[in-house]
Amino acid sequence: MGDGGVFLFVIALLPFIGALVPGVMIRAGRNACATFTAVPTALALILLMLLAPAVLRGEVIEAELVWLPQLGLSASFFLDGLGLLFAAMILGVGLLITLYARFYLSGDDPMGQFYTYLLLFQGAMLGIVLSNNILLLLIFWELTSLSSFLLIGYWKHLPEGRRGARMALAVTGGGGLAMIGGMLILGNIAGSYNLTDILASGEAIRASEWYLPALILILIGAFTKSAQFPFHFWLPHAMAAPTPVSAYLHSATMVKAGVFLLARMWPALAGTDAWFYLVATTGLVTMVIGAVIALFKDDLKALLAFSTVSHLGLLTMLLGFGTPAAAVAAVFHVINHLTFKAALFMIAGIVDHETHTRDIKRLGGLARLMPVTAVIGTVAALSMAGIPLFNGFVSKEMMLEEAAHTAWFENPWIVPALATLGALFSVAYSFRFIVHVFGGPVRDDYPRQPHDPPAGMYLAPALLAVIVVLIGVMPFLAEPVVAAAVSAVTGTEMSPYLKLWHGLTPALWLSIIAVLGGAVLLWLHRPLARAWDAAPRPEAKAIFDAIMGAAVRLSRMISETLHDGVLSRYLAIMVAASVALGAIAWSGGGLAAPTRTPLPVPPVVAVGWVLLIVATASVVITHRHRFQSLVIISIIGLMISVGFVYLSAPDLALTQISVETVTIILLLLALHFLPKQTPVESSPARRLRDGLLALAAGGGVGAVAYAFLLRDVDAISDYHLANSYEGGGGTNVVNVILVDFRGFDTYGEIIVLGIAGFVIYALTEALLNGTASRRLRQIEYEPDRSRDRHPLMMVIATRVMMPIAVVVGVYIFLRGHNQPGGGFVAGLVISIALLMQYMASGFAWAQARRKFEYHSLIGSGVVIAGLTGAGAWLAGKPFLTSAFGYVHFPPIEEFELATAMLFDLGVFLAVLGAVMLMLHSLSRLARHAGETVNLEPMDFDPRTRAEAEADGKGG
Amino acid sequence: MTLFAEILIAFFLVVSGIFGLVGSFGLIKLGETMQRLHAPTKATTVGVGGVLIASMLYFLLIEGNLSFHELLITLFLFLTAPITANFVAKTYVARHLKRHDLPETGRAHGWSIYDDPPGRSEDE
Repeated sequence: MGDGGVFLFVIALLPFIGALVPGVMIRAGRNACATFTAVPTALALILLMLLAPAVLRGEVIEAELVWLPQLGLSASFFLDGLGLLFAAMILGVGLLITLYARFYLSGDDPMGQFYTYLLLFQGAMLGIVLSNNILLLLIFWELTSLSSFLLIGYWKHLPEGRRGARMALAVTGGGGLAMIGGMLILGNIAGSYNLTDILASGEAIRASEWYLPALILILIGAFTKSAQFPFHFWLPHAMAAPTPVSAYLHSATMVKAGVFLLARMWPALAGTDAWFYLVATTGLVTMVIGAVIALFKDDLKALLAFSTVSHLGLLTMLLGFGTPAAAVAAVFHVINHLTFKAALFMIAGIVDHETHTRDIKRLGGLARLMPVTAVIGTVAALSMAGIPLFNGFVSKEMMLEEAAHTAWFENPWIVPALATLGALFSVAYSFRFIVHVFGGPVRDDYPRQPHDPPAGMYLAPALLAVIVVLIGVMPFLAEPVVAAAVSAVTGTEMSPYLKLWHGLTPALWLSIIAVLGGAVLLWLHRPLARAWDAAPRPEAKAIFDAIMGAAVRLSRMISETLHDGVLSRYLAIMVAASVALGAIAWSGGGLAAPTRTPLPVPPVVAVGWVLLIVATASVVITHRHRFQSLVIISIIGLMISVGFVYLSAPDLALTQISVETVTIILLLLALHFLPKQTPVESSPARRLRDGLLALAAGGGVGAVAYAFLLRDVDAISDYHLANSYEGGGGTNVVNVILVDFRGFDTYGEIIVLGIAGFVIYALTEALLNGTASRRLRQIEYEPDRSRDRHPLMMVIATRVMMPIAVVVGVYIFLRGHNQPGGGFVAGLVISIALLMQYMASGFAWAQARRKFEYHSLIGSGVVIAGLTGAGAWLAGKPFLTSAFGYVHFPPIEEFELATAMLFDLGVFLAVLGAVMLMLHSLSRLARHAGETVNLEPMDFDPRTRAEAEADGKGG
Repeated sequence: MTLFAEILIAFFLVVSGIFGLVGSFGLIKLGETMQRLHAPTKATTVGVGGVLIASMLYFLLIEGNLSFHELLITLFLFLTAPITANFVAKTYVARHLKRHDLPETGRAHGWSIYDDPPGRSEDE
């Protein structure tokens, strides 16, 4: 990739990096915040302009970074004419909005948050228009839905803001899901997720039998985003957002994403009948409906919202025509719509800001009070109406021209007639915007006396208005950009010729009809509005709410049936299903004859086996007596470790023993607060059912294990045995598997362990603040408890044991790589050493001598393990690849150093922290329950007794 | 020499076996908890100790090298057995006996289980 490619990455990343800035800079004041928000946008825009000449010459700049090649996902970007146009729009308007928002937002609004959301959104939008990989594009697509959700709901205290945000997210997010399906199909047809590859294989795509489903799914995505009928309803509700958001998202960028996608996919999807009828019809219908509703809206922003819907319909229709000339008109109108609509939204915001109302019925006569605003607003609205000398006129002419010779189902009249009707209503509401807001006499009942805002606020719309006029008078100024964009859309080199005067074409007559008709409609507005209000019409929001309500009820029904919180039922279902599956597999036959003969059972093993069985049975019998069953469970654990030793698995035996010890101690602590017995809660029939299930499951697993033991099976262990020393540098295969081969699993496990520790901590925290707290306080301890709860012998013995245990722990840790041991066991051993101190001298005493936080112990463990794993990247290896070498210092023998040891250190710390945090949490319960707190290491300290005796003698 | 060593080792093994058996038998046979306490603590300590001595002798005399593992085991045994017995006894006393069941200590301070430690009693 060349320099341009690097620029592309920078452009795509800048907004995301910049999003971190406003939140910090807001502390330096609002001006600083706005300025620093503009910096990344401006930088990206400058970089884009540096690339622009090459793109306008017809070059395509590409950049690729392999991300997940197995999925066909790569971070690849490209910049062609279309991308350039949209990127420039996004960044340019972004700058203007940053300026405008600085003056629009009041002092109470959290501005840092706003700018952060804005930059996030900008980054997502840029990602969409620059992506060269459709999977990447989908990610950015969903990101725009999410960030626009945040922006629309920016005023969190307004219920309509929250509702609008939710609706927008539901509709656009849902459409995005459909689009994922469509894009995947498309990628499958083309055999690549690369956009350039897909665009190149348009023939194959259109010929494929999967074309139609893919088309429909993608169109759902594009239509929801671009608010096309029947998904248009979310856009007006999204107007609850602050006006800068409306101006940015709902005129310039996000709603254009759908149009952009249609244009982008044009070479691959357009040109078929299905495309024409689906896209052009939807666009046409949307255009007319949007324009009609817009005329009867009294809310300024609602009027603009429906007008946006209408204009988006126009764009969609043009792209749906599928002809290059229509594409030219569409691209040109994208630019024009952006300029006048963003300006209009900002003007609406200014009016709202100055008069405190957006209700057209309460406005009028503002031309005298706010002359600057009125001029800008009139220019933009005239352009929206399509009056000559403003840019909207040129593109509207081109649209009518295209519509004039488009036949719909052989009917040559319907498209031009409807297009003209749409244009007519468009003229009507544009005029209404001018006449009913700025025209008429000055009133004396504005909610607030209006005057022109500070220059910072009208600078942005004024700049846009200047562009409106410039392009309107000299359309050829836009030619190079339009040419580059259209060439990218159609995939063929095009040089459109944009001019003001086309001669007396049919389009001109249609245009004249529209303008005159629009004026008449405005004149008739009052009676028409009354009729409109009286006419029954479906309310989109009610329909949407009904659908959402039904969906919520359905999912609640499903989840509450399947997931009703009865754990035993889940277990029973899972076990029964497993047993059934096992039975089916068994009855299917296909079990080869045994290839091994069972070994004779040595008497020692038999004894162990009998102990195990007896202990297990005893647990079942005594399970209602909790302490007893805990003791018996420890016997089972012990027998299992003995089994590991017998079967030459010393690592497992070590782990089992230490885990067993820690578990029993913690369980004893926990049982202290629970009833000593479990009451009988379920009916005999139910217990019988559960018992049978358990027997079947246990028997089944036993049978499977037995069947496998009798047969030679290829196991993965051969690989590990062969590669442990060469690949991982350790002779202890178990440890090498843990820290190297399956290091990622271990990494995940220590994180889970750490989280478990934190969860127990959080649960006790919640418990101590909840109702259980009262019950705990009411625990009555027997009055005749021993006064000597921390006996001298135990205290002294554990103190002596402490260094020995620590040495054992260190030893086990250090030898772990080559001999039984490792970080996990070492962590448990050290925690047992500490647990002993806690048991002997009580929690408070031991806690007071603790030098480190258990929380941070867990955190640092995970971080160390993660950094060690990431260190492998520096060596160009995958995450968690272990490196090892042999070191020799003269006094001691040669020894091995492996990075796996550092990883093991992380495991060690996480285990130690988690265990100690659990102990800490449980003992907090005890102290809360009124357990006495001891400050001395032991209750009967011989020293104090000697002193007391001395005192006694003395006195 | 070898014969003598073997006899010695066998002697300790037999001693340990007898003590182990007696200890286990006592655990079943003796009636009271406090009596039962004697069986495992004393008898089994000697029983396991016998095996350990035998093992050390075996490695020293037959294999010809000194083994220290047994010493470690002994250390742990000497640490854990008394403490366990101490705890069992304390628990028994606390659960089943009253203050007046026990004789006076005849010293400045009473039983640790019932009486507050010196220094703390003044506070309460």
